[in-house]
Amino acid sequence: MRIRAKACLLLAGALVVAGCTKPDETGDNNQAAVPQRGGELTVLLDSAFSGSWPSGLDPATNTTGGGNLTQMSSIYGGLFRLVADDDGKNAKVIPHQAAGYEFTDSGKTVKIKIKPGIKFTDGTALDAAAVVFNIKRDMEATCTCKPTWQLADQDPITAEGTDTVVLKFKQPNAAVINSFVVANVNWVVSPTALQSMGPDAFRIKPVGAGPFKVVSNALSSELVLERNPDYFVKDRPYLDKLTIRSIGGDQPAYQALQAGQGQVYEGMTTIPLLEQAKKNSQLVVTQQPATSPYVIQLNTKIPPFNDKRAREAIYYATNGEAIRQGLFKGAYPLSQSFTADGGLFHHPTVPGYRTYDLEKAKALVQQLGGLTVDLGTLKAYVADQVNTALQTQWEAAGIKTTIHSEQLNGLIQNFIGGKWQAMLQTAGAWDPAVGVGVGFRFSSGVPFSGVSDPTIDSLLQQAGQSTDPAQRDALYMQVGQRISDEAYAPFILAFAPASVVTKNVHGPGLTTLIPPVVVNTAILWDEVWMSQA
Amino acid sequence: MSDVATTSPAPRVFSAVLGSPALRLIVKRLLTAIPILLGVSILMFVLLNLIPGSAALQLLGPEATPEQIARLEHDMGLDRPPVERYLEWLWNALQGDLGRSLVSRQPVTDVLPTRLAVTGELVALAFLISLTVAIPLALLAARRPNRFLDRVSMVVSTAGLSVANYVLALLLVLLFAVKLGWFPAIGYTPVSKGLGDNLYSLALPAFAMAFPLLCFYTRFLRGDLVDQMQGEDYVMTARAKGLGPWQVLLRHAFRNSSFGLITIVGLNISGLIGATVIIESIFSLPGIGQYLLQGILTRDYIVVQAIVIIFAIITVLANLMADVLYAVLDPRIRYGTN
Repeated sequence: MRIRAKACLLLAGALVVAGCTKPDETGDNNQAAVPQRGGELTVLLDSAFSGSWPSGLDPATNTTGGGNLTQMSSIYGGLFRLVADDDGKNAKVIPHQAAGYEFTDSGKTVKIKIKPGIKFTDGTALDAAAVVFNIKRDMEATCTCKPTWQLADQDPITAEGTDTVVLKFKQPNAAVINSFVVANVNWVVSPTALQSMGPDAFRIKPVGAGPFKVVSNALSSELVLERNPDYFVKDRPYLDKLTIRSIGGDQPAYQALQAGQGQVYEGMTTIPLLEQAKKNSQLVVTQQPATSPYVIQLNTKIPPFNDKRAREAIYYATNGEAIRQGLFKGAYPLSQSFTADGGLFHHPTVPGYRTYDLEKAKALVQQLGGLTVDLGTLKAYVADQVNTALQTQWEAAGIKTTIHSEQLNGLIQNFIGGKWQAMLQTAGAWDPAVGVGVGFRFSSGVPFSGVSDPTIDSLLQQAGQSTDPAQRDALYMQVGQRISDEAYAPFILAFAPASVVTKNVHGPGLTTLIPPVVVNTAILWDEVWMSQA
Repeated sequence: MSDVATTSPAPRVFSAVLGSPALRLIVKRLLTAIPILLGVSILMFVLLNLIPGSAALQLLGPEATPEQIARLEHDMGLDRPPVERYLEWLWNALQGDLGRSLVSRQPVTDVLPTRLAVTGELVALAFLISLTVAIPLALLAARRPNRFLDRVSMVVSTAGLSVANYVLALLLVLLFAVKLGWFPAIGYTPVSKGLGDNLYSLALPAFAMAFPLLCFYTRFLRGDLVDQMQGEDYVMTARAKGLGPWQVLLRHAFRNSSFGLITIVGLNISGLIGATVIIESIFSLPGIGQYLLQGILTRDYIVVQAIVIIFAIITVLANLMADVLYAVLDPRIRYGTN
């Protein structure tokens, strides 16, 4: 598959030159227009990521739930969801199937109220008991998309009456509500349907209370959904039918959009195709705000990066601006920390951050008597390109560099083995405390971190517990400062995939900006509509 | 009356059939297939177990803790000894149960028929297109070697052999789906919704798979035909008997050259099934190639093992069919004289 993916991506450039479309002005999806009911829409998803749902669509057993946001939110809706202004500003998590929430016990308890009258598509009630059943089941799941909550030992998940769910934690959990939108607990299944169908059948044809219900599901191939006429939001969803189809990468997807066999493609990353799509008057490209910057993780536990001078040499030898211009046509902002402009607590610069200075890099390498580095990454088109650029830049500073990219299994083995030296990865999340947040790359004791620093551990713990946003902001700034001061890991830029849609498609997260919660944006499918003209 | 009429010839027919060299050949080949299939299944099982990581690790991703991985491996039964797992799989497979996918928990035998139908149709169409075009083209080229048609066919064949089918697939989509809008770029329409729509949906993927084959067969058959026509005694004899060039070509040279073509087609079956992995992915077809790819990516050895065995059976049967065709074409084989 990798050969195929590479070939497709290489072809992308050639086909761009061949000129698939005439240069034209960028399409305008006219957000001011009045939404219309009806229409059937086909969504194309990359078979290597979001278009892969091999373990089915039950939140408790779907091990790729984080990538399958479109499938899951279409079927289940969600207790909460992330919304933003059309330009992506003021992003916040708001109740959806939940009616509201309140913190008590100094942030150690949260009470979530469920909207009354919501029914699953099998006619049973989505009430507090159903939510409790789901959260308990999800927390028992083997899926890594379950939340990393430290629940209280006694009765951590209970119902109060028919409409209130009570969650109790060992420590204050400031990010609990934000964590819903990146976790399986957000998607509530019908306990009655689950019990009557059995888990194996349920994962193929699940029952939720979302805007659409499942008609057919060929795993990792095609999911056909139809409008849920009893959806709890009046006059929603707009679409009659949603077909989700897996496709082998950006190039075939782009061609399918042009040929009219699809209307939406999520997560395009191939820069030449994006450039071309922007010039196609029949398509609209929406570049979502980034939340997770590329970081060069340095393993500070073993040589050569247990020596701060070696880490500094990497900082000075890395020319982020050249990568930004050369590989990304200046499309994404440079980063100096683990946040990006689409996420919370973002600060574009860190005082004293070491920027590119070839002479300083050379001098440090000379002081060290030479520096040899092995730089790895997860096998992906963009990451491979960045690593090749880094190798060239570092060699210019006298750093002997070998690069390699690994399949996921190999990468994990490398991390767990602990012998890795440098890794190009992404760090951070929309809320740094949830999902693959900053702790994943910088906390002590995490196998995927190259840092063991009690100061950072303490700051991250405080930031995760504080319910005061200003205090959290200050704490995360301190974490960023500490990473910079100790030269733990240079950041490059924050990269985010884009959605490409045909001109008649409109909707939040497709033609407006919503920060990605995992990798792709969580599109609000009940609000998506098509102009019928 | 009927008793007398039917009972006496039956044993003779039965005996004649059993004594037929062609049937002996089929039985012999089928018996040889048993150790081959067993060997393939063992090899696949060993290889899948030697690959670093596991289905659990692959599914849970980089955020997984060792405890989570261990738990999922236990749920999947991957913590049991490999020999025990293989023997259990083999025992069930012999009874027609190819197991449940480790990842989706679906019985593989429930999923395979629908996916096999898509891939089978795709491969059959690809062969049909390639042979339907290649044979007449090769005959025309061989009839007048080094003339205009021969040279054009050789140039096109060389070009076709130089282009990988996935490259060709994207170019075909660009031209016939995006630019001209004649065919769909992706998707599959089942036969149940109409044969016309079904063939229409498979036109581009089938042609993308057929074209390299077509070029290869044309070159191969043309070369063999030219050799036969220029150097074989039986051709001289046929000509001396007064047969025209087309009669010699079609009745004698083509018959001899078709042996090589049948062998090549038989050998190509497995390669063509392999090519469906890429083509189905590009055209978003719900076939067995896509299923195999998912199985490999998720380290789902149950799925991979089942598909590989199916592929092996198809390959064995295709080669058996080629052998039977030899017998049909060559009386010496049919009557066991050679």
